[in-house]
Amino acid sequence: MTDFLMMQRRDALKSLLAISAAGALTACIGEGKADGASAPKLSSAPSLSTAEMALVSALGQTIIPMTDTAGAVEAGVPAVVQTLFTEWGDENYRTYWRAGLDKLEKHFVKEGGQKFAAMSASQQANLLGRYDEKAFADNDFDPFYKDMKSTIATAYYMSEPGATEELAYEAVPGEWRGCVPLSDQPKTWAT
Amino acid sequence: MADFDAIVVGSGMSGGWVAKELCERGLKVCVLERGKSTKPTEDYTDMMDPWEYPNLNRVSKAEEQEHYAIQSSIYNWSADTKHWWVKDSEHPYETAEGTDYTWRRGYHVGGRSLMWARQSYRLSAIDILANKTDGHGVDWPIRYEDLAPWYDYVEEFAGISGQAEGLDILPDSKFLPVFEFTCGEELARDRIEENFPTRRMIHGRCANLRRATPEQQALGRGSCQVRNKCHKGCSFGAYFSSVSATLPAAERTGNLTLMTDQIVAELEHDAETNRVTGVRVIDRNTKATKTVTANIVFLNASAIASSLILQNSKSAENPNGLANSSGMVGRNLMDHVGGAWGSGRIPMTPELADKYTYGRRPNGFYIPRFRNHTEEGDGYVRGFGYQGGVHRGGWSGEKSGVGKDYKASNRSPGDWYISMGAFGEILPDERNRVTPHPTKKDQWGLPLPLFDAKMRQNEINLIKQASTDAVAMLKAAGAVDIRSSEDYEVQPSRPGNAIHEMGTARMGRDPKTSVLNKYLQTHDIPNLFISDGSAMTSSACQNPSLTYMALSAKAAKHAADFYEAGEI
Repeated sequence: MTDFLMMQRRDALKSLLAISAAGALTACIGEGKADGASAPKLSSAPSLSTAEMALVSALGQTIIPMTDTAGAVEAGVPAVVQTLFTEWGDENYRTYWRAGLDKLEKHFVKEGGQKFAAMSASQQANLLGRYDEKAFADNDFDPFYKDMKSTIATAYYMSEPGATEELAYEAVPGEWRGCVPLSDQPKTWAT
Repeated sequence: MADFDAIVVGSGMSGGWVAKELCERGLKVCVLERGKSTKPTEDYTDMMDPWEYPNLNRVSKAEEQEHYAIQSSIYNWSADTKHWWVKDSEHPYETAEGTDYTWRRGYHVGGRSLMWARQSYRLSAIDILANKTDGHGVDWPIRYEDLAPWYDYVEEFAGISGQAEGLDILPDSKFLPVFEFTCGEELARDRIEENFPTRRMIHGRCANLRRATPEQQALGRGSCQVRNKCHKGCSFGAYFSSVSATLPAAERTGNLTLMTDQIVAELEHDAETNRVTGVRVIDRNTKATKTVTANIVFLNASAIASSLILQNSKSAENPNGLANSSGMVGRNLMDHVGGAWGSGRIPMTPELADKYTYGRRPNGFYIPRFRNHTEEGDGYVRGFGYQGGVHRGGWSGEKSGVGKDYKASNRSPGDWYISMGAFGEILPDERNRVTPHPTKKDQWGLPLPLFDAKMRQNEINLIKQASTDAVAMLKAAGAVDIRSSEDYEVQPSRPGNAIHEMGTARMGRDPKTSVLNKYLQTHDIPNLFISDGSAMTSSACQNPSLTYMALSAKAAKHAADFYEAGEI
């Protein structure tokens, strides 16, 4: 009673979730192998620290800044990341995020001379833009970064301002029209 | 005196239909459901907005691994749908060495009629004759003409959206209005049909009420609101399920008794009169057992569970279980074979650039079977059909870019994409079977199912051609950046993966080689009927639920006729 159509047709939201979850798992396994014993010991605290949250917020806001609509921070994305970390994820997930954030922070300190959250908005956009380009050009460059970005984007476009203000959302469309002029519906559907 | 005129084991797709038909004929009917009750106001999760989901609607990996190792691979798996699926940790099964089987199901009132993908297609005269024509399996004891009026009947009640095409390979249903194509689908159809004049791309046919009829509204059902949230349960009752349609119809007769949490352990049989007299049930929670008696018993528990109930009903007279003098119970287990799929981007045209969609259509396109019909197949019998869609891309967290430009790129709809996947016919083969495990038992003391089924050479050859044909059609549609099963070594899907299990108590003309006659009555025991997927003599390549509905309505009519005539 399943069908391939529905498999392909699940909304962008869900497909992203699945991809992101699967990616997290494989990348996690890879991470353990790659880093080995030489990596400094990371915190095992059950929640992301203030510094880690500052980094997540700055990364989120650089990827999705405030414009005429909310940015990632105004939409509550950092809180979703924290709850995924504390309530949803297991030990592997927490290790994966912690190590991934640590690696990002070290990279930006090296490149920009200070912590990412302390940089100016233009420096953040400049450095993260270059990093993002490399990550999408080479799948092995930083799989965590791509997972994190996917999670941030999902949390943003599933949020109320992301879905209803930045994009278009209709809880109950009530009707189907297969071919409407884009001028009638210029914004992407959130779901 | 028996407790009921009839017992129906199972409340899903087919059991709901039997209950409705028998109740409407005036019989007192008891439906036995092994799972819990279904309360739409509590169990349906279709009224939440995306931002109301905790943790992005994800199920934690720890929970998946502990409880849902098999079920969680379903395409619409999420935190708000997981309650429709059994916990594998509580409901294990076994597979024979060197085989694999994916058995996905839910234990609750409504069964998989709540989670199905609603694609509804008739079998054709060609399908019903297939076994007789090429010699695989046994001949169906009925012809398309016997089924056609029952298709008409169930379609008008259930509500099937689609468009008449006049195809011999895929007969038209009694249709509600169609869910129109997207502009991308119109373009793809024109290009595919121009390149392949013997193939058709038609509208998907689905059990969603495009426009509810007065008959459907009288049951509290409303028109489809185009939310594509069907798999969460539909508060509008807009897709067909036994909870939205058949059970309420049975209920309003005053003749229905629905017992939940009752697991059927075995049938009770009186050897002297050769009648089933009732069923022995185990309460799921208390594990207390009792017997419920009736003059007629219908098995509608699924192809796996119904055949196991028969095989578990052993006695000195029936050492292989009931209704199994042919030895065919549990054999000829079929499904549909997948593993052929593809998708790609359709480069923008001036017409497509300016078009979008409104609403979330719970449906797509269908390409009916053409191999071994209008075109020859390469080294196999039977055929396959495709389901797919053409949609404009939305927002994505999987692409490069940061900042205002990235945000802006998600704000406007993107490129158009086409995707399709095949469902192929699986041949009936006696070696593909399910039996009660000789030693391992579940927590209720019932033998675990032991699956022993494989995709064989015909299925392998078929799905390989389905894969190359898919890519050829994607190219014909103008798609680029194609990703498909051709990128890998093409492999047939695992048995059971399509969730279309069937054939384990097949209909046939000869009691020596089949379990059911043309009335869906067991050859061996006159008051025992089976009208779930077990009854299927061949699988065709169409989604089977509509045929289960038609067979169930037909079987119930015969049973009621025989009962009124005092023959059973």
